[in-house]
Amino acid sequence: MAFAHTEGKRIMEFTEEQLQRYSRHIILPEVGGRGQAKIINAKVVIIGAGGLGCPVGYYLTAAGVGTIGLIDNDVVEISNLQRQIAHSVHTIGMLKVESAEKTFKALNPDVNIIAHKVRISKDNIIDIIKDYDIVVDGSDNFPTRYLVNDACVMAKKPLVSGAILKFEGQVTTIIPGEGHCYRCLFEEPPPAGLVPSCQEAGVLGVLTGVVGSLQATEVLKLILGKGEPLKNSLLVYDALKTIFRRVKVPKNPNCAVCGEKPTITELIDYNEGYCSLP
Amino acid sequence: MTELLIFRGFADQMVTHCRACYPNEACGILAGTGNRVTRVYPMSNAEPTPVSYFMQPKEQLRVMKELRQEGLAMVAIFHSHPQSPAYPSVKDISLAFYPEALYVIVGLMNREAPAIKAYSIIDGVVKETLFEITL
Repeated sequence: MAFAHTEGKRIMEFTEEQLQRYSRHIILPEVGGRGQAKIINAKVVIIGAGGLGCPVGYYLTAAGVGTIGLIDNDVVEISNLQRQIAHSVHTIGMLKVESAEKTFKALNPDVNIIAHKVRISKDNIIDIIKDYDIVVDGSDNFPTRYLVNDACVMAKKPLVSGAILKFEGQVTTIIPGEGHCYRCLFEEPPPAGLVPSCQEAGVLGVLTGVVGSLQATEVLKLILGKGEPLKNSLLVYDALKTIFRRVKVPKNPNCAVCGEKPTITELIDYNEGYCSLP
Repeated sequence: MTELLIFRGFADQMVTHCRACYPNEACGILAGTGNRVTRVYPMSNAEPTPVSYFMQPKEQLRVMKELRQEGLAMVAIFHSHPQSPAYPSVKDISLAFYPEALYVIVGLMNREAPAIKAYSIIDGVVKETLFEITL
């Protein structure tokens, strides 16, 4: 048995098994026992148990994040298995949140996985995210991205947003009240007809691992309070050229949702005509 | 911020227009606010050759009027180079009449993987700007 302390106060007891499991974290000066205790006490919700949700959830489970919520109402199909690494041929037809829960539990039984078997909407999102510290957007469609952005700004929840398409990926971290939000980048989503269908456009499967791992890293940095999150930045990854670019995205004081005089004060569902979670 | 930001869907719309006009040059307007593109106007080329473009004046006036009415700016003017690299030609530089706009060139030497570059052209001085596609 060992203990983590903050300001002389004992905050957590580690079992022998936890000490062994998280030893590579605990020996990092930036993490230590206190940092690992923060990770174990953290509550993170992931929107989408698909391409991005799988690696994000997998790595956060391995890291020991104490409570992980998964939101998805889709079932596993064979075409998902090229990139959605928490699912398998044995879970085809099963709800993705249940399939992922099974996989994550096998990796780390200590983690409390909460399966939200719902499609995220303006009617349920605030109620779901209120119980979590950090939100991860693993969706790849504009209605969800804008809905999650607006809900996180309104509920003041940090958001780590990722997207993938073809050979490209991007990640950004939104900290309401401190940095930009997605509407500071583009005030409105593009028209539905212009957005390539996820099924038609395709995606290189391993791209989900790159982008999902970056998202998981951002989450752990936020939990630990270490490093520089992708605040006011958009990290863009071009897999064909093997290039990462960090684009500055300043906070827009006139932003419709996070600006000084917001004009969007209620959640909007832009759903019709767009594709579903990747 | 100096990058020109554009959603993948809009970039694809621009490239589709350029491919449709091949082997001649294509042209159009990227509209939006600041450096962010929120609308693409594919335009007719009044001088359709593989080495020149000239926007239909009536069409251009109609688009400019629409932009003014909607509070949008002409963020960039795009055209294609069907047979040459995505760099402004001498003619492109001499006809760059809008210093407040950027000039985007879609190079179609490899039509499968077009090269897209953005430039500011002010008083004959060409400076490349990052053309960033977001998802």
